[in-house]
Amino acid sequence: MDWSEIFGPDALVVLLSTSVAFAMPTALAAVGETVAERAGVLNLGLEGMLLSGALASFLVAYYVGSVALGTLAGVAIGIALGALMAFLSVTLKTEQIINGIAIVLVAQGITAFTFEKLFGGGEQPTVAGIPDVNVPLLHSIPGVGPVLFEQNVLFYVSVAIALGVCLLLTRTRFGLSVSAVGESPAAAEAMAVSVARTRWLALLVGGAMAGLGGAVLVLGQLNVFEEDVSGGRGWIAIALVIFGRWNPLFVLGGAFLFGFTDALQIRVQAVSGGIASTVPTEIFGALPYAVTLVVMVAATVWAGRDAQPAALGVPFRKGVGA
Amino acid sequence: MGVESVMRLTTWKAVPICLAAIVLATGAASCGDDDDGGGGGGGQAGGGQDKVKTAIVLPCATSDPWCKQGYDAAKALQKQGAIDLKVTTNAPQDTAGVTRVLAQYAQSGTQLILAHSTWQDAAFAVAKQFPDVDIASYAFELRDNVAILEEPIYQAAYLAGMLAGGLTESNTIGGSAGQDVPLCHAELEAFEDGAKRTNKQVKMIDAYIGDWNDSAKGKQATQAQIDQGADVVIACGGGPATGMAQAIKEANISGFGYVGDMSSQAPKNMVGSVLYNLGPYFKAAVTDVKDDTFRPAKRYEFGLADGGVSLQLNDGYSVKEIPANVMDQMEKVQDQIKSGEFKVPYEAGA
Repeated sequence: MDWSEIFGPDALVVLLSTSVAFAMPTALAAVGETVAERAGVLNLGLEGMLLSGALASFLVAYYVGSVALGTLAGVAIGIALGALMAFLSVTLKTEQIINGIAIVLVAQGITAFTFEKLFGGGEQPTVAGIPDVNVPLLHSIPGVGPVLFEQNVLFYVSVAIALGVCLLLTRTRFGLSVSAVGESPAAAEAMAVSVARTRWLALLVGGAMAGLGGAVLVLGQLNVFEEDVSGGRGWIAIALVIFGRWNPLFVLGGAFLFGFTDALQIRVQAVSGGIASTVPTEIFGALPYAVTLVVMVAATVWAGRDAQPAALGVPFRKGVGA
Repeated sequence: MGVESVMRLTTWKAVPICLAAIVLATGAASCGDDDDGGGGGGGQAGGGQDKVKTAIVLPCATSDPWCKQGYDAAKALQKQGAIDLKVTTNAPQDTAGVTRVLAQYAQSGTQLILAHSTWQDAAFAVAKQFPDVDIASYAFELRDNVAILEEPIYQAAYLAGMLAGGLTESNTIGGSAGQDVPLCHAELEAFEDGAKRTNKQVKMIDAYIGDWNDSAKGKQATQAQIDQGADVVIACGGGPATGMAQAIKEANISGFGYVGDMSSQAPKNMVGSVLYNLGPYFKAAVTDVKDDTFRPAKRYEFGLADGGVSLQLNDGYSVKEIPANVMDQMEKVQDQIKSGEFKVPYEAGA
C-alpha cells in the first residue's frame, strides 16, 4: 500500500479541504449545542433542527432561487424549533429529554411528509450549487490556503459564526451569564441574572446554529434534499459536546477531527484495495469514532477536571434550591 | 412540591408526545393512499372479481429512485386492471414498525403484499400470523407464503463497466456502496469485470461508506475517488448514488445511475443508468396469486433477458463521445447475455 497516496502533501491538502467542508454542519450544530448545554439545557432535538433547517433552506432556494434567502430560512426554522424547545423546557419546565426526542420525531415526520407531498412520484429536484471563492492573497499560502481559503461563501460565513459563538461564550457578559445559569441557577438568579431569559437565548442560538448546519449541508454541499438527509449528524454533535468537555473550541476541534478521520477512512479503503482488500471494511468504519474518543479522553485526562455544567438537564424553579 | 403541580407537569409533559403522535399519524394516514381504481370490493373475497387485492409498502418517498421503481411498476399493473392497489410510502425501517404496517394490510383482506425493502423478519412474522396472505420481499430464506425478489443488477453493471473501460482516460474507475452486501459486491465486481473486458489496464478503486442514506458521505467517497484519478464511477445504494451524482456534476466526469433513471440529477455527466425494473417481478407474483400457484413461494429472478434489469443510456450525456467500437462490443455482449450465450460471473463476496 502506497501511503504517499494518503499522507503525501498533495493528497493531504485535498483530504483536509474536503473534510473541513463536510464536517461543517456537525461542527455548527455542536457549537450551538454547547451554548444550550452550558446554560443547563440538554437539547436532544438537535437532529430535528438540522433536518428542518435542511428542508426549509432547500425549499426556499428551490422556489425562490436564492441561496441567501434559503440559508436564512434554515436559520429561521432552527430558531423556531429552538423557541419550541425553550417554551417546553424553560417556560413549562417539562422533561428536557422527552421534549428533545419529540422534536426529532415531529421533524422527521413533517419533513418526509412535506417533501413527499411536494415532489413524490416526480424526478428528484435539485438546486444550483454555490461556486467556490478564492480569498485574495490568503489562498496562495501553501498548505493552509487551499484547505481554508478556496471554499464557498457559506463555508466562510459558517467559520465566522462558529468562532463568533465561541467568543460569545468565553469572552462576553452573556457567556458568563450562560455559565452561571448552567452551574448554579439559584446563585445566578440571586445576582439578578434571569435564568429563564438566559436559557431561552441559549436555546435560540443553539437552534439557529443547527438550522444553519442543515442549510450548509443541503445548499453548500449536496444541492438535493432527501428524507433524513441529516443522517445522524445531530446525534454525533451531541456526543461531541460531551467529548469536548463543554469547551466550544474543543468541541469545534473535535468536530473537525471526526470529519477528518471519516474522510481518511474512506481514502484508506480505496488505497488499500477497496472490495478486494483483506481488511474488513467495518474496521475502517469504526476508525473515526475510535480516534475521536481516544483524543477526547486524553484531552479530558490532561485537563483533569469535571467540566459538565452542574445544573445540566435540571429545570429551574424559583425557591426550590439548586 | 404539591400533588397538584406534579399533575400539571405530567399533563404538560404529554403535550409534545401527543403532538408527535398526531403529526405522525396524520402523515401516515395521508400517505396510505387509497388508490383503489374502483371496484369497491364486495363482501365475498373471490366473488366474481379477478383483481388481486395488492398493497405495496415502500421504505421511502416515491421521489427516491428505489421507491419510484417499485411504485411505478405497481401503478402500471393497476392501470392494466390487474390489481386493486393500496400504497404506503415512508414506512418505518425497523422491524417492529413495519410489522405493524404489513399486519394492517394482512388484516384488512389484502391478498398480496409487496414489501419493497429488506424486511425479512417483519415479513416472516406477519406471514406466520396471517397464513392467508402472500408476501414478496427481499429475504434470504423462503417461507411457504413469503417469496424472494432477487436483484440481478450486476448483469447491467457489467455492460456499464464495458462502456466505462472505453471511456476512462486515466484507466481508473471507481465504485462506492453503502455496505458490503452481496447485491453491491456483485454490482461493483461486475462493473470492474466489464471494464477489464474493454480495457485491460483498468484499475478500480472503491469504498464502503457504512451508510445507505447519507448522501453527503456518498459525495465525499466519490470525490475521494476522483482525487485519486477516477474518471468513470458507479454507486450502490440511495445515499451513495445521490452523492455520486452531485460529485460527478461538480468535477465534470462520467458516472452511471443506480436502480432508477438518474440522468436528471447530472444530465450531462450520467452515461446512463443501471435500471432495476420491477414490472416483471410484480406481474409474476400477481399472476401466481391469481392462479393459486404462489405457494410454495419461490425466488423471482428476472435478469437482462427478461427485462428485470437493463442499462438505459442517457441521450444528454456529453462529457465525451463513447467510442463506436466499445458501443458495438457492449451491444454484442448484451445480446449474448440475453440469448444465454454469455453469463456474467456473479461474485457476491465472502
